[in-house]
Order: sequence, then structure tokens, then C-alpha cells
Amino acid sequence: MHEVEARVELVLAGALGARQVVAWRRDVKGVASGWCRLGEPEQVLPAARALAGLGARLSMVSASLVPAAPNATGREVAYHFDLDGTTLTLTLELPLQGARVPSLTPVYRNADWQEREFRELYDIEVLGHPNPGRLFVDRSLEPALFERLIPYSTFINGASGEKLWRQVQAAQQENPS
Amino acid sequence: MSRTVITLGPRQLGLEEPMYFRVQTEGDRVCGLEVLAGQVHRGMEHLTLKRNFYQNITLLERLCSLCSNSHPSTFCTALEELAGMVIPPRAEYLRAVADEIKRIASHLFNCAVVAHIVGEHTLFRRVMELREIVQQSKETIYGNRMDLAANCIGGVRYDPDAGAIDYLKNQLERLKSPLEELYRVFEDAAVLRAATEGVGVLTREQANEFGVVGPVARAAGIDYDVRKKSPYGAYDRLSFQVAIEGAGDVRARALVRLAEARQAVSLIEQCLDQLPNGPVALASFPEVPAGEVIAKSEAPRGELIYYLKTDGTDLPVRLKWRVPSYPNWAALGEMLKGEPVSRIPLIVNSIDPCISCTDR
Amino acid sequence: MHTCKVPPAPKLRLYRINTGSCNGCDVELAATEALTRFGLERLGLSFTADPTQADLVLITGPLTVRSKGKVLAEYAQVPDPKITVLIGVCPISGGAFRDSYAVLGPLDEFLAADVNIPGCPPRPEAIVAGIAEAARLWRGGEGPQLAPAGFPAPANLRGRMSYRAEACVGCRMCQHVCAGGAIRFEEQEAGVSFTLWHNSCLFCGMCSHYCPTGALTPTGEWNLAHPQAQKYQMVEQGVVPRISCSCCGVPMLPVVPELMRKGYRALTRETAQLQTLCSECRQVRSIGGLQRCTK
Repeated sequence: MHEVEARVELVLAGALGARQVVAWRRDVKGVASGWCRLGEPEQVLPAARALAGLGARLSMVSASLVPAAPNATGREVAYHFDLDGTTLTLTLELPLQGARVPSLTPVYRNADWQEREFRELYDIEVLGHPNPGRLFVDRSLEPALFERLIPYSTFINGASGEKLWRQVQAAQQENPS
Repeated sequence: MSRTVITLGPRQLGLEEPMYFRVQTEGDRVCGLEVLAGQVHRGMEHLTLKRNFYQNITLLERLCSLCSNSHPSTFCTALEELAGMVIPPRAEYLRAVADEIKRIASHLFNCAVVAHIVGEHTLFRRVMELREIVQQSKETIYGNRMDLAANCIGGVRYDPDAGAIDYLKNQLERLKSPLEELYRVFEDAAVLRAATEGVGVLTREQANEFGVVGPVARAAGIDYDVRKKSPYGAYDRLSFQVAIEGAGDVRARALVRLAEARQAVSLIEQCLDQLPNGPVALASFPEVPAGEVIAKSEAPRGELIYYLKTDGTDLPVRLKWRVPSYPNWAALGEMLKGEPVSRIPLIVNSIDPCISCTDR
Repeated sequence: MHTCKVPPAPKLRLYRINTGSCNGCDVELAATEALTRFGLERLGLSFTADPTQADLVLITGPLTVRSKGKVLAEYAQVPDPKITVLIGVCPISGGAFRDSYAVLGPLDEFLAADVNIPGCPPRPEAIVAGIAEAARLWRGGEGPQLAPAGFPAPANLRGRMSYRAEACVGCRMCQHVCAGGAIRFEEQEAGVSFTLWHNSCLFCGMCSHYCPTGALTPTGEWNLAHPQAQKYQMVEQGVVPRISCSCCGVPMLPVVPELMRKGYRALTRETAQLQTLCSECRQVRSIGGLQRCTK
């Protein structure tokens, strides 16, 4: 096993008190990525502290509904860390009701925006975020847009496009080429 | 000393895009900064879930026109990895050509804006003129000056013949000595040096703390370039040195970009010289199985990362990406601390902020 | 002797508003402004940063929810009468971002547009041609009209898409890959009609890239600027006529020569006969070698 991979498994086991299963993959160029599912959402905070100790950089946080909307039965939040070119993803599985995660902002300053962002797009509470306000989404729009729009989207999907196309058709009937 | 809060927008900052800042000042010095994002939020991540993979290639190219090629090429890399496709070698090189030609145009645009803000209008026009060589090359080779439409799943959509390759080599030749001279101007010219040296400093420790990427990180001495750390496409066969500076100021950031623009010329030349024969894309329409994958690249502003989750259909379950400007905004507060208010536009532009990328 | 001197046309000032664009049109506008070769100055046009001093308003972007308040307030500061130019397909039709929760455009639902410059992004020459048209409108129809011939385009330019119904098999791959929602097919009695609306076309050429028969090709025609009244007339259209199978008589779309060449490598007298056969009869004829229709 490569050095980075061994160190990651060692610090995760140390932080979480048990060995964590990390699936390591290599792409066609030999670049490694590790994938690990944590048992409990709270574990992400000690895990992040341990990774910070290894010099890992928090690269991105991806929240999602699983399976794809509108059949979602749960949510996931995936934290992607960079270890000098190797990407490690820690994934939390969260319920549809009462999803909560601890804020990583006290450990990683750049978690601030990432957390504000998934908080405004999904029904996920971020515990202990220092500045939990809207970031990109205008206050006039409903919260948790990725979820609210599930039933709504079938209605609005293409609505503005349809209106425009009716006008295109009308113009051709008036003015056939 | 009196504390006040002022709001600055694109007009005051010389930005092409709408972004607003709430700046706390003490006397004429900056002591705090809040970035007010969202003006260019187009709900793109949500839109990608309603579009199939083919449509998303074009949609993602419209994320931002300055690094437009980085998005579809990284997205295609993610899809190809999931589908187990190995793209033809010729396609790998041609993707690198497209990425590097965009890097030159992007870096030159930022460099022109710096000249403009410093009040060097002749230099501004000169840089814009030089950039036109790149704009014309893009239009001639790809068919558009901004959005190249170079990528498809399984490879690229363009196959330059000997004439096109000669043309491009000629254009690169025209860039070489002006780019070298431009580097020297930003390095030594008295006015520029006075305006940029020691200004807007981000130390290496701060850079690490904020997780900044790209030229902002490399200007602070962090040796990180995705093309080296996690090679993709043709980069494992191209020779280049990561451009590094150490001062972490506005000048260092400009010099990193100009060094990279020159290096990009060499990278394209290497690609054209090594360009293997053969197909430019796999012919099939791939079936993308259910799965999740990470793909990364070094966009003009730094590390770009994509996360794609699929379920076997041709619509993503989730497509998430983090652009290089994203972590760099927060570090702006540190760069501005204690600087006179009059320097805000220069320092903001020194991170080469991309707002359409950030807001999505 | 009385000499009549025509006074030079007054200088017109341009004001830019970004409503949440990808910055493509804006960066091209910056180049248009900075470089004399594009000739804005020669047309008596210059940019102003003060909306109250402007005559022409140039708008980019699809109008995001968050930008709306600021955009409309800025727009209102430009004194009337003013001429409004929409640059790129985003403000004209919403472009790639139409139907997003965060996008409100098209812009003409919120203000009176006068000239549209489609493209994604349009090249600076197209932007200048559109602005010249706007300046002409402002001056009551007087002034130079730009000849597209003055600005040569490279052979590969992805400009206006063109469509040949003779080569189309109605497979709708183009519609499937179009991110702009610019292509529609409709079943009509006479056949299948195809419509491509240039005001929603992103100039990406995906439709022609994936078209199996070469029915769609980008042309080098880049000057698509037009007055608002023509907004919905900017289309490419054609009908693939339905014929009857020469064997069993069911209505079908003819098999185009391009597809025959792909399927059978060459067009011969024998394979040409297959063109007017429906897929079932074609299968029977080409595999079984039967010379007589059995249906």
C-alpha cells in the first residue's frame, strides 16, 4: 500500500477508534482516490481534525439526494480532501428528516462557504457554523431549493421555453418562409 | 480613528461582472471585508440535473467564458472514467492544446486589467492587442473566440490538419517575444513595481490556512499544480516547471500568470510536435454505469474539481464542482487588511476573481 | 452662394449592464471597446460609466433573480428616449439558463428591447454591427449600415446553423444534444417539420457534430443582429416529407442517401431501390434477397 493511503487509514482509525474501510481506486494515469463511508455524521469532525493534522486540504463538499429526485429516500454529504494530489472522500449518509452535520469551519476556514451553500440548497442543518446566512441564493427564493423543486420542477420545467416556442410558431404561421 | 462601512460594486472595482463587497475601514485603511455573492447565480448545478450528459457539455462551457474549456474537459474526463473509456492519445494532446490556449487568453486578460487599474493605458491596449493573436487563433482553429466546443465524450471535436498546425505554430511564434517583454515589464517597470510590490500580501501560512489554489497559492510559494500533482490527459508526457514566486503580493501573482502564459506557448508547441496520428475521439455512445467519481484539472485560476454521481441513466444524480476562485475569495480579507482603500480594486483583481464561476 | 453643410452625427454614448452573464459577451465587449480595429469610434460611439449620460444600453446575461432589482434601477437611470441592445442569446431568450429557478429572463418581459444580437458569444464584429443598427435607429434610420463583408471570418467559424431537409432522417439526435433548447420537431401530415430558433442557439455545433447524415452544418454567417420585431422570425426550417413505402404503402420518411452510404458503403442502383422502402420491407429485401413484396 502507498504511504499516503496507509497514513490516512492510520489517522482515521486513531480519530474514530476503529478501523475505517477506505476503498482506494486509481485512474488510468495512476492518480489515487479514496472513498470512505462514515457510520455516524458526528464522526466527520474528528476525522477532519485528524486529516488536518496530516496536512490535508479541504477541497470541496458535495451534498446530494439519493437516489435521484424525485425518488429520494435520503441524503448524502461527501467531503473531498486533497492530500498532495490524492483525493479522499468521506461520505455521510443522512435521513430525509432532521439531517444534521457538525460544522468543519472551526477546523477548515474554507468550509465556511461550502457549508453555507449546501445549507441553502438542502434541508441540512449545520451545527456550530459561525455565520449561517444565505450565500448565493436570493432571499426571495425558498430555502432548500434542490428539494423544494422536486414536485415543482415538473410544473416549471420548460415552462418559459414553451411560451417562447409558441411565439416562434405563431411568427412562422403569420409569415411563412 | 473612525470606523465606517462602505459597499463597493463592479463599477468601483473595474470588474466585468457584478460582485459586491462590504468593506470596513478605519481612517483610509481596510480592516474588514465581507463578500456579497450571488448576482450571477444561475442555478447551474440544479440545471445540470435536468440536462443529459451531451447537453451538459455545452451548458458547463457557459459557466464562465474565461476558463470555459476547463469545465467540459474535466466533466468529460469524469464521464470517461466512470464509463471505463480510454480516449485516443491524439485527443489527450488536443485537449491540452485547448486548455493551454485558453490559459494564455485568460492570463493576458487579467494582466490587461491590472495595467488598466494602475493607470497604464498604453500597456492595457498593448496587452489587449497581444491577446487578439490568441483570440484570432481560437476563432480560426475552433470557430469561436471564447467557447471552443472542443470536447465530446470520448475525445475532442476538432482534428487540425497540417495547415492548421502550421498556422497555430506561426501564431505561437508571434506571441513569444511580446510575452517575454511583458514579463519583464511586470517584473521591472518602475510604475508597475511601485504599484504592485509588497501590496496585498498573503503569506504562505495564510495561503495554507485558507486553502487557496492556483496562481494565488503559487505566488505565496506553494508548489501545487494539478498538472503535476494529479496528472491527466497529455500532461504526464509534457515537460514544464511549476511557476512559483514567494512574495505573495500582487506583483508575484502577476508574474506567476505571465510565466504560465509563456509556458503555455511551450506546452502547445510540445503537443503539436508530439501529436500522434489516429482518431480524435472514440466513436461509440458510451453507457455510463451507476457510480461516483472525482475529476480534477488545473484551470487558469487553479485547481478545478468535479464530483459526478450517476445511476445508469444519461442524467446526473448529482454534478458538483468547485472552481478555483471559490476558496480564493475568503483570503482576500487577509490581503486587504491594513491596505489603503484606494488599493482595493488592484488587490481584488490580483486574485483574478471569476464571479460567474463562483456564483454558478 | 449658400452652402449646406451636414453637421456630423452627434456622438452616442453606450452604457453596459451585466444581468448575470457567463462574462463571455462582457469580455468581448471589453475587447470591442479597447481595440480600434472594431471601429466603434468611427461610428461615433463611445462608452460611458454614467447611466444618466447614456443613449444606448447594452445588456448581457439572462437576468438572475438576485440581479433584477439593481439591473432595473440602473436601466431606469438611462434617460428616455433610449435604444436597448440585447447581446448574446441569454438576454434574448434565456439561452442555456432558461428555466432555472434563479433566472428570470428573457429581458423583454421587463424592458423594451430594440435590437437583438444572437450568438454565444457573438464575435466583436457582430456586436459592432448590432450596435451600429441601434445607432441608426436612434438617429431615426440614418447612418451607416455595416457590411458584413468588411469583416472576413475564418472558414471554421461556427455561425448561423443551416439545415437541409433532404439529408434529414428525423432521428432527433440534434434536439437531444442541444443545450439551448433551440431545436423542435413536429409531426405534421405532410411530414416531420424541423425548426431551429437562432435566438436560442448557443453556436456550439453539437447538433452538427452528432448529426449522422450531415443535415446540419454551421455556416460562417455571423451577422444575425436584427430588430426586436424580427425576434421570433429568426429560424431555420424545413420539412422532411412523408412518402409511402413503395412495397407495402405505409407512410414513412424516405431513407436519405447519406444514410444509405453509411449502411451500404455505396449508392448503387440496387441500394437506391431500398430508399423508398419502409424499414420492415427493407430488411426483408436486403437480407432475404426476395424480389417480390410479401406483405
